Amino acid sequence: MDPADVRQKLKELMVTELNLEGKEPADIDDAAPLFGAGLGLDSLDALQLAMSVEEKFGVRVPEGDEARSIFASVNALADHIVRAKAAA
Amino acid sequence: MRIWVTGIGVVSPLGRGAGVTMDRLLAGDRAFGELSLFNLPEMRTRLAAEVPGLSAAEVAPEGDAEAWSRTDAMSVLAVREALAQAGVAPEAAPIDLIVGGTTAGMYETEDLLAELSRDADAIKPLRAMLTHPLSSTADHVRAAVGPFRRVRSVCSACSSGANALLLAAAWIRAGVSRCVVAGGADGLCRLTYTGFGALSAVDPNPCRPFDKRRAGLNLGEGAAFLVVEPEEASRARGVTRPIAELVGWGVGAEAHHITNPEREGRTAARVMQAALTRARLSPADIDHVNAHGTATPLNDSMEAAAIRACFGPEAERVPVSSVKGQIGHTLGAAGAIEAAVSVMTIARGEIPPTMGLEEVDPACPLAHATRATKADVRAVMSNSFGFGGTDTSLVFAAPNAFPAPEAPARRSVVVVSAATIGPLGVLGARENDAYLEPGPAPSPGPIHFQAADHLDVGRARRLDRAGRLSTVAIQRALRDAGLDPSDPSIGAEVGAILGAAFGSVDGSTAFMRRIYEKGVKFASPADFPNLVPSSPVGHASIYLGLRGPVFAVADLGVTAECAVVTAADLIAVGEGEVLAAGSVEEASPMIERCLGPVCSGEAHGVRSEGASAILLEAEPHARARGMKPIARLPWWTSWRGAGEGALDAAPEPPTRAVVLTGQEDLPPGLRLPEAWARIPHRAVAPRSGVHEGAGGFAMAAALAAIARGELDAALVVGHAPERGYALLLTADEPGSS
Repeated sequence: MDPADVRQKLKELMVTELNLEGKEPADIDDAAPLFGAGLGLDSLDALQLAMSVEEKFGVRVPEGDEARSIFASVNALADHIVRAKAAA
Repeated sequence: MRIWVTGIGVVSPLGRGAGVTMDRLLAGDRAFGELSLFNLPEMRTRLAAEVPGLSAAEVAPEGDAEAWSRTDAMSVLAVREALAQAGVAPEAAPIDLIVGGTTAGMYETEDLLAELSRDADAIKPLRAMLTHPLSSTADHVRAAVGPFRRVRSVCSACSSGANALLLAAAWIRAGVSRCVVAGGADGLCRLTYTGFGALSAVDPNPCRPFDKRRAGLNLGEGAAFLVVEPEEASRARGVTRPIAELVGWGVGAEAHHITNPEREGRTAARVMQAALTRARLSPADIDHVNAHGTATPLNDSMEAAAIRACFGPEAERVPVSSVKGQIGHTLGAAGAIEAAVSVMTIARGEIPPTMGLEEVDPACPLAHATRATKADVRAVMSNSFGFGGTDTSLVFAAPNAFPAPEAPARRSVVVVSAATIGPLGVLGARENDAYLEPGPAPSPGPIHFQAADHLDVGRARRLDRAGRLSTVAIQRALRDAGLDPSDPSIGAEVGAILGAAFGSVDGSTAFMRRIYEKGVKFASPADFPNLVPSSPVGHASIYLGLRGPVFAVADLGVTAECAVVTAADLIAVGEGEVLAAGSVEEASPMIERCLGPVCSGEAHGVRSEGASAILLEAEPHARARGMKPIARLPWWTSWRGAGEGALDAAPEPPTRAVVLTGQEDLPPGLRLPEAWARIPHRAVAPRSGVHEGAGGFAMAAALAAIARGELDAALVVGHAPERGYALLLTADEPGSS
């Protein structure tokens, strides 16, 4: 899978699944933190995003501490998806 | 004026009956086992605390079990037990009924909803849907047990049962009730089971409240009801000693997050302190805290922080325990079951343990009771916290252990604003009389509504349509009153009571369909919190910063009237200073073609939708802050049955008065007093469209006409099958504009 393509799909998914009304996928910075200061997402968004990533990409996002680094940014989440797809 | 608890009824996963439940709690029994009620493919856990061997057929009339729910069955059994212990019966004396809950007959209807929704043309009235509305539990208790006089259904998610008792206390202190049976009930269902699973809030093993390794809650089910009476009424019928007294209560909203509690427990501590203040007790008087203690990581550390903040050094002493390690989280029933357990803790002098707690989390440093402990228990605090941050604390005390409180002075209630969002757009306090002007009927179906025109959609992104409509209506009502809820100079927290006849039907249906079509692991965590009936008002409280009492009511086609009357009941006795009240109804084929015709009898006319918010305030509070009311609310009532004689006590109408209704007809069995029968009758339905919240539009229209000096009074009458409400709205100064 092309990482750029995954990042784009991921951002589209975030806008629709997390109801980021008024935001375009292009507005989301690939390197910015998803939670807290960055996009302002929280733990409920993380659950929704994990569920929809599994639905869209067929890739499970682990829970707990492992999830923290995967959810660091769009880049990190896309890397996880690409890696998981390559390993499958 | 003491409030006596004279009867308790409990149906729990540990047994049928208050006594057996308490015996087994004290014995440390845990009720968790393999779920037998339903099976969904790919469920991550099947652990639950079920009430074994219970079916709707146990309490339903012969041959009618399809229209009854397990929640009904638990409620009926618990109410009967409570009434029998108290020695009262609704046939013999006026008894009022308040039922807290979240899911009612969801277990019996969730499959059917998903099935019906596959083909919109196939949606038809089905008798089995009678058990879907939140109000159906109370209706069925009334049908099975007897003719309760005043009846309410309340929901504040997991604090519903506690808020039912709080409302009962308000009625007794207002002098309007001589006996109330109040509590909560919730049966297990697929929706809550998969929803809490989607939130990763469920421990696949028996839960561990306050434990370092706690990993979430287990779901349970059950019902509990308490008979509460003013001491004088109880003595008058020959009772010489209660089981315990209800001495304190506090309620407030966090206005923080729809699922996550405030980390530091600021609001929970405030509500616990409010309950102590109402009880005129100090932390040193409390011998036990029956904690909410769900065993989710966030709840337990929040609650521990709140207990420490409220109790100060006394937190080192006061034993704390949670029954959820034994019966799981029974959601809308939890506050009532824990109230019943608190009463029995006092009566038996034995504190139940927290089972599952092995290693106390350093973030929860409290005096945990990990085994049953005999003690002289004079007062117990019971905490309940719900989705949306709806916090309630109750305090029970041993009979005559503390001085009797005075009955409160009754306060006048005024209206300071009103707003609607409906077919004519967003209309404010002086505009809603547009619904009384002649004009075209609305277009059928959803109204035109662009959220971005009224709300910061970034901040409102979690709000579903019902949440947004509710928020816009309350926001406009606040704005027209010049009231900013976060302004400390108001001197009180603003609250809101707002519900929907059928809750989030389409949302629940979509949630279940997704599970059936995609699997349990694709249940939407973000959608689930929007399915509880108190979600719209909870979201509104978060968006608008409302930190007073926040909960939903549901009463079919008179939900808006029910909300306003309930708010007035609370304000009149000092349980709130400023409360927005109303309803939100959404256009939906499922409501139009199935639930409406079956449950509320709303079948004729153009179906529309909308939300209303009437802003009520205690008159002394409004005057003190220089607020000129737009109208007064000098009289209100409600009834069950045909309403024979219900309006006889209505004050005489002034010269320029109307009788105003949502729907076009007046109830056939209702007799207007002669003076009111002579004056014009108007209805808003031709302009607002027909929906279960039309009564809110009638109230708002009356208020605008009064505010503009076009009317001196309106008697707003709302009715639905077997129930009705009436409110008299009058000019603040008759004849002036």
